[in-house]
Amino acid sequence: MQIRQWVLRGLQTGIKTTRYPGAEEQAPGVSPGIPPSLSKVNEDQVARLVEICPTDAIRFENGQLLVDRRRCVHCFRCSRDSVGRLGWEAGYEWAQVAEGAKSPAWPTGFQKSLYIRVVDAGDCGACLAEVKQLNNPYYNMHRLGFFLTPTPRNADILLVVGPVTDQMRKPLEETYEAMPTPKIVMAVGACALSGGVFGPSIFSGAGVASLLPVDIEVPGAPPPPLAILHALLVAAGRKPPVTRVAVPVRQVQSEKFA
Amino acid sequence: MLSLAETAAQAERNWPGQVQGWVDRRRPVLELTCNAVGALPQVARWLVSDLDQRLAGLIVDEHKDEWEVRYLFFLQHQQGWTHLIVRPPLQKSTLPSITPETHAADWHEREIEDMFGITFEGHPLLGDFVLHDDLWQEAVAPMRRAFDPRAALEERKPDLEWRPRRIVEGPGAFVMPVGPVFSGATESVHFLLETVGEDVIRAFPRLFYKFRGIEKIAEGKSIDDCLLLAERFAATTAFAHAWAFCQAVEAVCRVRVPRRAQLLRILIAELERFRHHVGVIHEICESTSLAVAASQAAVLEEELLRTCGALTGHRYLFGLAIPGGVSQDLADSACLHAIEDCRRILDQLLELDQMLRYSSSFLDRIEGVGIVPPQQAQEFGLVGPIARASGVAGDLRKAQPYSGYDQFSFEVPVENEGDGFARLRILIAEAAQAVSIMNQVPKMLEAGKVSEPFKPQAGAALGWAEAPRGAAFHWLRLNPEGLVRRFRLITPSFVNWHGFHLAAENFAFQDFPIILATFGLSVAENDR
Amino acid sequence: MSLQPLLLLFFALCAGGAAAALFFDDRRILPLIGWLGSIASLTMLALGALGIAGRSLSVELWSLPQLGVLTLCIDSLSGLFLCVSALVFLPVSLYSVGYLRHYLGLFSMRSLCACYFGLLSSVVLVLTAADATSFLVSWELMSILGYLLVNYQRRGAEDAGPGYMMLTIGEAGFVAVILAFLVLARSSNDMSFAGLRVAGLSLAIPARWAVFILSFFDFGVKAGLVPFNRWLSKAHPVAPANVSAFLSGALLNLGVYGIARFNLDLAPVTTAGPGLIVLVIGTISALVGILYANRENDMKTMLAESSIENMGIVTAGLGAGMVFYSLHAPSLAGIAFIAAFYHMTNHSVYKSLLFFGAGSVDAAMGTRDMDRLGGLIKFLPWTAAFFLVGALSISALPPFNGFVSEWLTLQTLLQSAALQSAGVKVVFALCGAVLALTAALAVTCFVKVYAMSFLGMSRSNGHQHNGPVHGSMKIAMGFSAALCLLLGILPTYVIPVLDRPVSTLVQTRTTDVLVPAFFRASREHGPLPPAFVSEFHDLGAQVGHRILPGPGLVVLHRGGPANPVVFAMSTSYMMVVLALLLGAAFLFVYWWAARRMSRVWKPVWAGGLRPLLPELTYTATGFSNPVRVTFSAIFHPTEVEDSSETVAQHFRMAIRRTVEEVHVLDRIFYRPIHVGVTKVAAGLARMHHGRLNAYVAYVLLSLLAVLLLGRYL
Repeated sequence: MQIRQWVLRGLQTGIKTTRYPGAEEQAPGVSPGIPPSLSKVNEDQVARLVEICPTDAIRFENGQLLVDRRRCVHCFRCSRDSVGRLGWEAGYEWAQVAEGAKSPAWPTGFQKSLYIRVVDAGDCGACLAEVKQLNNPYYNMHRLGFFLTPTPRNADILLVVGPVTDQMRKPLEETYEAMPTPKIVMAVGACALSGGVFGPSIFSGAGVASLLPVDIEVPGAPPPPLAILHALLVAAGRKPPVTRVAVPVRQVQSEKFA
Repeated sequence: MLSLAETAAQAERNWPGQVQGWVDRRRPVLELTCNAVGALPQVARWLVSDLDQRLAGLIVDEHKDEWEVRYLFFLQHQQGWTHLIVRPPLQKSTLPSITPETHAADWHEREIEDMFGITFEGHPLLGDFVLHDDLWQEAVAPMRRAFDPRAALEERKPDLEWRPRRIVEGPGAFVMPVGPVFSGATESVHFLLETVGEDVIRAFPRLFYKFRGIEKIAEGKSIDDCLLLAERFAATTAFAHAWAFCQAVEAVCRVRVPRRAQLLRILIAELERFRHHVGVIHEICESTSLAVAASQAAVLEEELLRTCGALTGHRYLFGLAIPGGVSQDLADSACLHAIEDCRRILDQLLELDQMLRYSSSFLDRIEGVGIVPPQQAQEFGLVGPIARASGVAGDLRKAQPYSGYDQFSFEVPVENEGDGFARLRILIAEAAQAVSIMNQVPKMLEAGKVSEPFKPQAGAALGWAEAPRGAAFHWLRLNPEGLVRRFRLITPSFVNWHGFHLAAENFAFQDFPIILATFGLSVAENDR
Repeated sequence: MSLQPLLLLFFALCAGGAAAALFFDDRRILPLIGWLGSIASLTMLALGALGIAGRSLSVELWSLPQLGVLTLCIDSLSGLFLCVSALVFLPVSLYSVGYLRHYLGLFSMRSLCACYFGLLSSVVLVLTAADATSFLVSWELMSILGYLLVNYQRRGAEDAGPGYMMLTIGEAGFVAVILAFLVLARSSNDMSFAGLRVAGLSLAIPARWAVFILSFFDFGVKAGLVPFNRWLSKAHPVAPANVSAFLSGALLNLGVYGIARFNLDLAPVTTAGPGLIVLVIGTISALVGILYANRENDMKTMLAESSIENMGIVTAGLGAGMVFYSLHAPSLAGIAFIAAFYHMTNHSVYKSLLFFGAGSVDAAMGTRDMDRLGGLIKFLPWTAAFFLVGALSISALPPFNGFVSEWLTLQTLLQSAALQSAGVKVVFALCGAVLALTAALAVTCFVKVYAMSFLGMSRSNGHQHNGPVHGSMKIAMGFSAALCLLLGILPTYVIPVLDRPVSTLVQTRTTDVLVPAFFRASREHGPLPPAFVSEFHDLGAQVGHRILPGPGLVVLHRGGPANPVVFAMSTSYMMVVLALLLGAAFLFVYWWAARRMSRVWKPVWAGGLRPLLPELTYTATGFSNPVRVTFSAIFHPTEVEDSSETVAQHFRMAIRRTVEEVHVLDRIFYRPIHVGVTKVAAGLARMHHGRLNAYVAYVLLSLLAVLLLGRYL
């Protein structure tokens, strides 16, 4: 009795899967948007924006407002401030190739299906939850050939979320060492890219790049599932990455714990 | 049921000269100051067993010459808080442990010992808790004001011979390690399961792999920066924690939150509770490998995330709660639309629930499995849906109402079996209650402003909220410049992980992931 | 070549070896055992081979009054058992040279040497005895010498228990077999086997049953069948490894010899009853043996229980054959006996190999407890390799020998479809199902042994490593391992050899039924129909017959009209394919892939945990726990202690959990008997109350009873 009910239920629910990457996903609530990397703003806005951003992601240089998306934690203060009013871009294709990583010549054999080993290096839970949403019917990454694996031995991609806390350094290193070459390291989320609001400190690191060579960076706090999907498609060479805006590395703000 | 004043009087009678009480009727808070530390365990025990109060946690602050150790108690069925305070001098960093009589204090005392170096005499198991012994030596005490991180890193001495503590003695007993990196995409936590092959005889979770030192980082930050920390450390229940923090700030700075903001906060919080519970139901179905049910629940979870995103701009409700109100106004029509979505999703959830109750293969795996006995749930001080599934009724929204919750009519479901199925039933009932609260909001909404500006002041206060996982407490002390001097986080996951082993032991290995899923705990919320 | 000089040579060697024990000192005795023992075994092998080949021998020794003439005779059945025993004693002799070095100075080598050669000769005497008296005398000699050797390394009175139990229950069986002979020879005075055969033809049904039951009791005890096999798992751990090897490899087979001799030669079965009993008891022994083997953590006890299982399978095959024989299906009976004897041969070879391995581990590490071993493959690579061959053989995995004989046994049981009686078919089907279960449990058991002892992390930290394994031990193990492989990949050459004794028992040649001669047929298009030949042309017949001697390479049986089922198997071809595949894989990896890829050694993945400690890995008890839990109705564990030491109500400092189990045979069989006998004795003890008057009354009563009996009889 129950099996038939479940089958009928499943059929009734229909197809929920997004058409991405075949078509753009337009449904509301799939992405919070992100500040544009480069934009032109008024003088009065500039000072306010630079002051208001809690992670020093915003800078003014050569008459342009530069946003280091790797530091943006989606606090919305720049967009909601009455003076600042920075307009955000909608969309979700944010993945970029890290400096020094090899691209677009990704290892051959990565075009078809990829196995992903996800490591939680101290993440708050949101990035990990978004990664887990990739397995749900709305996004269904299996149709694109992406799978999560519990063992690093047959993993192609190491997907790291979290700022790399001090006590997770060794396990993360072990996981990286246990993966055979060729492998790609993907840092997902503002914490993994820059330490987020937690680091760097004695207990929490400044992101994955301080420990491992990062290949693909996905900004966002958290990046929505479509952004992570885009990053995986970049790793598989099926989608182009976002061009990186050269934002020089910033001095850390909370030096007393460095 | 004694009133706070009666409690103070009784305490002064029982321990003459050792305990003094002072009632702040506004909040209402009773501060019992204990002059003689020897009386501490007895007073604590008296509060818990005779007066039916619950221990929320310990708050330690280091002043110039003395410690301020505050034991926080709250009443289960009426408004009121009891702060049991001792102020030993700074050189004397030993206190009697209250754990032998009040077991709920166990992990709180262990954390204080690791972080502050205060020893609790009589506690059988101090050490190797937050700072793992295979990375740090003992007596690091990073929360001390004089802590020098650079020097500490240079002098770090990991214990290379560290071995997990084994307590099972029997032929063929061994320890099965799980994690910290395990499964597909799970939070990093290490389990040491002692077994003789089939049953887990002892389950020991080794937490704090994700320890980020939130309380230390917060010191010296502005309120806005600290708000980010409070919101982001456990982002799957971000709004509830941000709200608790905002309430602490509002209590210190005496801010009156506008009515519209209060109601919007309730709406958002219940939306978050609904979404969180659907997420846990998804995990439960996933762990029992009931694939169609897991997909159904995943669909509902994603729809709720999209509803949150469409309503507030962020799927996990970041950046919404600010001290003084909410950061942006939500249009009435948008709220109604979101509530309608939630009603529809709730209907589908209830249908799913009906189908699950007739799936005997599913019920076999969670019924009678992972039992937390009510007596022990009470003694371990568990909170939230887990405690309510084991008969420990108690909800901060009812007992210590905030933000106008006392004007809403809703029930707090309680079950008594304490097994996985009871926890599932509680989650579904609470989800239904959350939607029912959301339904009541539009009628009460009026036009008005949604935030109140304020000036930061010095002071200390407690903010609390009934987060989806249970009672969350944020204690904040601001200095005269308005910067954070001490920020203490007592989270429901910290309290509930303490009791996890009660459920996991004496069941087979195959049941372990299911028990883990029915608890729905967050490691990030525990580890801070 | 005549057999008589060989026999004399054999006894001379044994006598010389035993006598030399008096003259040589301990150190020099070891090579003596090795050399003389090997030559004596080779002589035994030659005797056996010639016996199988058809040469017979009959030697009359002395003539004793009332007991007849003591005769020794070698026929093909004895020849087979002589060969098998020789294949065990040869490596044992070699192995002893290295293994007994660990006993120098602790125990007396001389007594061991004397007992060893005495046992060797007593085995041959048992197998060649041709009359009841010499059989019984040599049987008793063999029992006593076995007891002495098992108790060789006892340190005190309490250690003597297992050996004493073996002796006692053996003596009980001995009494039974004496009675069996007496019943068989009831009216005649001729105690020689020839005379007994004649007497056996005219036995009445009750007498037949009596002979069967009494002889089955003794030989069942010897072979280790339920419910009289408790001595086996107790005797093996206390005996030295080389003694265990021939205890399992040669002495248990004497039980099988006895069953075959009695029920097929002296008093051939005429009804299906005895055969069914043998079959059922064999099956139950197999199941109980392997269940308890799964539970054991001591390597030698586990191997002992496994011997019970294998002997059960052999006996089951014998029983099936007896049923077929009594129901007038001689070719099926022949297949069954070939399967049983093949399995017995295989068991002797791989069990001795496994005991050699266990002995090497014991000598090197000082312990046999699997929970304290681990990672031995690094210290003892050769032992690990040979033990692996033994483990694969006993788990019945191709292309080793265990596969062939288990396969044949199971196929035999399926042949019951050709019979008419429904009851017999049901019993065969059930026994077949249980034997298939035991095969699966055997794999579990040996995976556990091998993995826990040789693989994984070392739980003993490499301590107590008493030096490398002596060369002679490796040679002995290598010999047995090679034999395992050969017996496995050349079944079509072994079966005709086994068929010789079997055909004398069932009076039909079974070789043609099992190993069709399609090499020869391909040459001559002889007795096989051309359609059949063309079917199997592609199996290499057209090539094989030019290169290989013998009939063919496939074991094949086509059923009769009642059961038209073909079963076929060829481990020879399997070996060729495996060798090609492995060779190709090897070449691919080491020639092609190694050039293009680099190899890096990384530690095992443990979830990011470093270091991985041995206490965090599975123990042998943990591995076999699922078997315990599934069969808990048989194991019936009772919790003896489940306590925890708690501080402050909730902090557990220690949890203690011990489980007690009583062996199922003790529970069902021995304890009730013990309790019953004790009760009866207690009841009777009431008679002994010391009052003189009562005793006088007893005398009076007995006198009256005797008078009455004399009156009425």
